[in-house]
Amino acid sequence: MTSAIPLEAVLVVAGALFCIGLFGALSRRNMVGILMGVELMLNAVNINLVAFWRYLEPRYISGQTFAIFIICVAAAEAAVGLAMVIAIYRNWLTVNADTVDSLKG
Amino acid sequence: MFQITDIPRILPEILLMVLALLVLGSDIFEKWGRSPEAQLERVRSSASLTAIGLGLVFVIALLQSAYLPGTRAPQAPAGNAVLDWLLSILRNLQSGGPGGEPIIGAFATDHLTMIARLSFIGAAFITSLLCLDYRPSAHPAEFYALILFSTLGMCLMAGATELVMAYLAVELTSIPLYILAGYFRNDTRSSEAGMKYFLFGALSSGILLYGMSLAYGYAASAAAGAITANDLTQFSRIAALARDAGPGVALLTLGMIFVIAGVGYKVAAVPFHGWAPDVYQGAPTPITAFISTASKAAGFILLFRLLTVAFPSLSGSVSFGEELGGWTSVLALIALLTLIVGNLAALPQTNAKRLLAWSSVAQAGFILLALVAWAAPQAFDRNQGAAALLYYLVIYTLTNLGAFGALAAVSLAVGGDEIADLNGLAQRNLGLAVLLTLCVLSLAGIPPLAGFFAKFYVFMVGWQAGARWLIVVAIVTTIISLYYYLRLLRAMFITPPASKEPLPAPPALTAAVSVAVVALILFGLFPNLLLGILSRVQAVAGI
Repeated sequence: MTSAIPLEAVLVVAGALFCIGLFGALSRRNMVGILMGVELMLNAVNINLVAFWRYLEPRYISGQTFAIFIICVAAAEAAVGLAMVIAIYRNWLTVNADTVDSLKG
Repeated sequence: MFQITDIPRILPEILLMVLALLVLGSDIFEKWGRSPEAQLERVRSSASLTAIGLGLVFVIALLQSAYLPGTRAPQAPAGNAVLDWLLSILRNLQSGGPGGEPIIGAFATDHLTMIARLSFIGAAFITSLLCLDYRPSAHPAEFYALILFSTLGMCLMAGATELVMAYLAVELTSIPLYILAGYFRNDTRSSEAGMKYFLFGALSSGILLYGMSLAYGYAASAAAGAITANDLTQFSRIAALARDAGPGVALLTLGMIFVIAGVGYKVAAVPFHGWAPDVYQGAPTPITAFISTASKAAGFILLFRLLTVAFPSLSGSVSFGEELGGWTSVLALIALLTLIVGNLAALPQTNAKRLLAWSSVAQAGFILLALVAWAAPQAFDRNQGAAALLYYLVIYTLTNLGAFGALAAVSLAVGGDEIADLNGLAQRNLGLAVLLTLCVLSLAGIPPLAGFFAKFYVFMVGWQAGARWLIVVAIVTTIISLYYYLRLLRAMFITPPASKEPLPAPPALTAAVSVAVVALILFGLFPNLLLGILSRVQAVAGI
């Protein structure tokens, strides 16, 4: 199985996903969109970890464990983030990150 | 392997968690009324439970580390039954003191962790005193429990010697702080600060994780065939594999740069500082004090441990003209930017809280100088760098807690935190003005306050490491920084006040700020009190 697709190919996919996520997080105006970009970045990391684990140390579990922890924490983080989006929406009646800009100088 | 004897070694962390759950649980038994008295009662009981608990945990951690002279438990029995019983408890506690292998390879309890732990718990204690009169909204228990969870995360961050542990600790520190920064949900500024902190923080943990995954991948490929345990994510294992410098060091270097960028966000160093002024200004002032001190210090300690333990083979050099490469060079560049941007951006500020926020960004530049000292060829100079880092962190924590605390008292009474609100503070509340003055002068680095010695020490170790160009810039920016610090003093002592009526300051708040200021003067006059302890940090696990 693992010989059919080289490790490099998987890493390129993960790298591309990370870049798309980073671009999304930096360019989107909508806060939920930014959160989606961040999730893409975290999933790129998960692909990386699982690929390294599968190809390089399949008999041990460091990489796998790391990926599972990341999934759990990402869920917790998304919960906090979405709660904050709701709080922002109640105060500002918008979820546009550029509009929410009362603190500056 | 985790053994039962490891439990005393993580006792402060266990106690912090129990305390947090206790604060959450005890709120259930309070009277939940809508009247202001009932709400105040709930706030008071949660706050005092937190403050007393943190004080106890601090004392236990202090006894465990045996740093205070005379607290090392004697081996000989005292003869008195009660005394012997207490002594044996103390002896058991101190058996978990500094030293020993990292627990399951993931959490070291060396001197670095011990000192960091004491400063975080101390900072949380002062923060909880600052919050006593700064009424949180309808759910006080959550507010204090989140402070405790975040403190727990910081302690774990300081001791983490493994990538998964480091990541979990960073998140355990950050997620409660996001919520705390946006705690006043109905206040536009607070919710905006929370949102910005969250978005930048989530992005930075993505970047940090990508770097960690690359470091893990490097370790897995370098160790291919020679893997005997699940230890590829341990810092010391990564360093050991990198020492043999197999092919693919570029992967490790890339990982290192991502990790520096990720942690750079947490410590608000310059290209990654975008969130800091807004969050510091918008968050509740006691929380600003906590974020700008303990959370930043935890970031620096994680950075120090990560870079020195996991990436020692990539340390590079900082002398001008020599080949630049490696993490000390990257950090020197970041320090340069941080010093210049932080100090210049603070100059035109009109809001005192925002001015102090920019000053905290600038202070990160000075702290980075101590990390740069790792480029020094001699081990002696490197150890000096570690001691200078911790000295600066401890002093900076005390100073900024004091400064933001005093500001919290003013904005509580006046209702704003512009520099104009400080006008004539000396005539309205002389004690508060003097406390704030001492903190500001220490931040500026005026002798005999501790800030002077801290700055002098980091300049010295940076100079020894060969970063002379950087130290010259640091001295020039220190002089520039005097301008904006003195603006605060001018407002307090020279500008006439809008009204002459006395400005009341809550006693708990004043006491907390006074504690910080007394420590500042004490450590400034007798730096050896602290340096004697800090010089033991040389024995960092795994280097």
